[in-house]
Amino acid sequence: MEKQSFKQWFCSRKVQRRLVIFTFLFIPLVLLLMFTYIPFGKMIQFSFYDMKYLGARTFVGMKNYAEVFERKEIFGSLFNSLYYMGGGVVQLALALFFATMMVFKVKGESVFKASLFFPYLICGIAVGFIFKFFYARGAVLDTILQMFGMNADNIPLWLQDQSINNVSLAATSVWRYTGQNVILFLGAMMSVDTDLYEAASLDGANRWQQFRYIILPSIKSIIVLNIILCVSGCLSAFEPPYVITNGTMGTGTYFVIMNRIAHENQKVGLASAMAIVLLILIILCTIGQKLFFKYVFDDGSSDESKAAVRKRKKAEKARKAMQAKGGAVS
Amino acid sequence: MKKRVLSLALVLSMSVSMAACGNKGGGEVVEVDVPSIDKLNGDDYKDLKADIKILTNRTDIVDTVYKGYADQFNELYPNIKVTYEGITDYEESLTLRLPNGDWGDICFIPSTVEKSEMGEYFTPLGDYDTLDARYNFVTEKTYDDTVYGIPNGGTAGGVAYNKKVWKDAGVTELPTTPDEFLADLKLIRDNTDAVPLYTNFSAGWTMGAWNDYVGIASNADADYKNNKLLHQKDPFTKNEEMSGPYAVFYTLYSAVKDKLVEEDPASSDWESSKGMINKGEIATMVLGSWCVQQFKEAGDNPDDIGYFPFPITVGSERAAASGGNYAYAVNNKASEDNQIAAMLYVKWMLEESPIFDDEGSIPALKGEPLPESLAEFEGVELLSDNPPLKGEESLYDDIRNSAEVLSGDYPVCEVLEAALYGTKELDDLMDEWNQKWTEAQETNGAEITE
Repeated sequence: MEKQSFKQWFCSRKVQRRLVIFTFLFIPLVLLLMFTYIPFGKMIQFSFYDMKYLGARTFVGMKNYAEVFERKEIFGSLFNSLYYMGGGVVQLALALFFATMMVFKVKGESVFKASLFFPYLICGIAVGFIFKFFYARGAVLDTILQMFGMNADNIPLWLQDQSINNVSLAATSVWRYTGQNVILFLGAMMSVDTDLYEAASLDGANRWQQFRYIILPSIKSIIVLNIILCVSGCLSAFEPPYVITNGTMGTGTYFVIMNRIAHENQKVGLASAMAIVLLILIILCTIGQKLFFKYVFDDGSSDESKAAVRKRKKAEKARKAMQAKGGAVS
Repeated sequence: MKKRVLSLALVLSMSVSMAACGNKGGGEVVEVDVPSIDKLNGDDYKDLKADIKILTNRTDIVDTVYKGYADQFNELYPNIKVTYEGITDYEESLTLRLPNGDWGDICFIPSTVEKSEMGEYFTPLGDYDTLDARYNFVTEKTYDDTVYGIPNGGTAGGVAYNKKVWKDAGVTELPTTPDEFLADLKLIRDNTDAVPLYTNFSAGWTMGAWNDYVGIASNADADYKNNKLLHQKDPFTKNEEMSGPYAVFYTLYSAVKDKLVEEDPASSDWESSKGMINKGEIATMVLGSWCVQQFKEAGDNPDDIGYFPFPITVGSERAAASGGNYAYAVNNKASEDNQIAAMLYVKWMLEESPIFDDEGSIPALKGEPLPESLAEFEGVELLSDNPPLKGEESLYDDIRNSAEVLSGDYPVCEVLEAALYGTKELDDLMDEWNQKWTEAQETNGAEITE
């Protein structure tokens, strides 16, 4: 075989193709490594040290991790996430409701869509400041309630009363994220063939039945995705408590406490360990949810539910058995 | 063939990542041969050409007042151009920007830089004994007898109040003990419509300000914070005459418990509180004396705003902490000309600029008169904390950070929460703090002597 020159080799289709792939991938991969994986690796390393941002470090092994679980105010702060999860359920239900309303013909649909989506466009810090004044004593919310005849003495202190302040804060994230969920749901619903609605209404199905048997099964996978995003978002809730109450009055979520430990007390090692514990928790939650949907309902990605598959298989088996029997007889 | 491409890729990506990570120091330290800042003679450097940049936290006046100072300086030294850069979130951004030496020429030393680390970032300005004789508060930024930063004047720790409201409530004499103070606040609650003590809880740092009274105001002892507190057993224990750290937090706790503070601390607002104290809707706020000027400017009644020392008497002595503001420091990685120009500017700011009159603070030069706002401090000794012993320079920070007590704003917020919800008695909370303090003393190897 004739020996190829370097130039020939270099210009060959195979090499050129690899070169193009490589050069296009190179920059994103370098960025990914530099800004995601290397810092992440550093964080894992930091979590084993007793260190500040500046100055000397000492290796302490698992001590930071032990502290995360031992200190009541650190691990206990995860319970505050339950309020945000409750908010998450409300948020998903509301979003499904609005999206379904809009999938059927509604007057002024784009106005509704825009006004629902608008809060999502405001940055979280600004949302925090809006609600700080919204909830302040004698401010917007109190005034509105008084307009409807509520007695000023019966209105709680929204940010101070510990029976309600976490709910107040979770409500701000419901307000902010509902619109985003609506848009996601609506996108999925739009892809449902409209002939199906027509056929269904000819068969006499009402709106609820159309939702239950046409829409819900077709957007199952997007609902599962939203639930997963919502749960991990709840575990890492930060902006509302940080901006509105700074985590005081019992509203400190895990992230707020982590921020306080890292910045006010300069315990970078402990904060890194907290971050890693949270990461593991989020991974566990996601796997748990996946398994839950897979075995209790189905994984949300197939068109047919697990129960239906089982039923069909059973029927097939029965038919085969019948056939075999029939064959033997004849 | 495949391998060649692959190895090329590896080499390339590794060299990029090494370039990204390898550059730790961020520039070399430039040694400058100049006299210490007190002997620096401006006339020797009239021809010096430099562009210098100053970082500041005062974003509100960076383009107005501060620019005015730069212009005045520019008239004296036409070849030195001074620009200011205002930074919101000053402490955190500076902590991140300092290690990479290319941040500018002059900055205010952020509190996250420990004394032992100052030499890595800043030019030595002179030795301690000579500068201490000339300027106030240099102790704060001295390490190993070398001064790295000189505070931009100083403030005294006390309590801001609206004189008119206090008078209307029937208070004739200013309080000297926590219990007298609380009794006065009760008078204000009963006799006027004003909020007796506004905590500004939701701003956070306003609560952290209570920590400043722990050192001198509560003990009348300049050695207390840096030398005694570190080695004291259970410093947060109650004592008979109601002095010491316990007394500071007792004042806050009792005021909250007796409902002498605003109704909804969680929705308090710092910006509007300035106008409210000016108008007489707020009677008292516990903050450093720097706030007086801002309260005066916030409304039509500047003459109603007064300032008195924190009401604790130790034996028969009373003292107030006076401490430096943020300290000017010069970047030791800037070029030689820039460093000299920067030192000239710092010297001019400290000795000739009108900044201390403008801000109502204690001047940087020793022997200059106190500002008018501190008139009530007669008979009260103004002290600043003595430096820690050699080898213990960072011990105070280490202990309070690992104890998570006296550090940041949250521990004081905890005192208010405990009183507000009645979840914890003050004594129990202080016992917890004692315990945390003892543990931190042990982990940081501080001997307990008392």
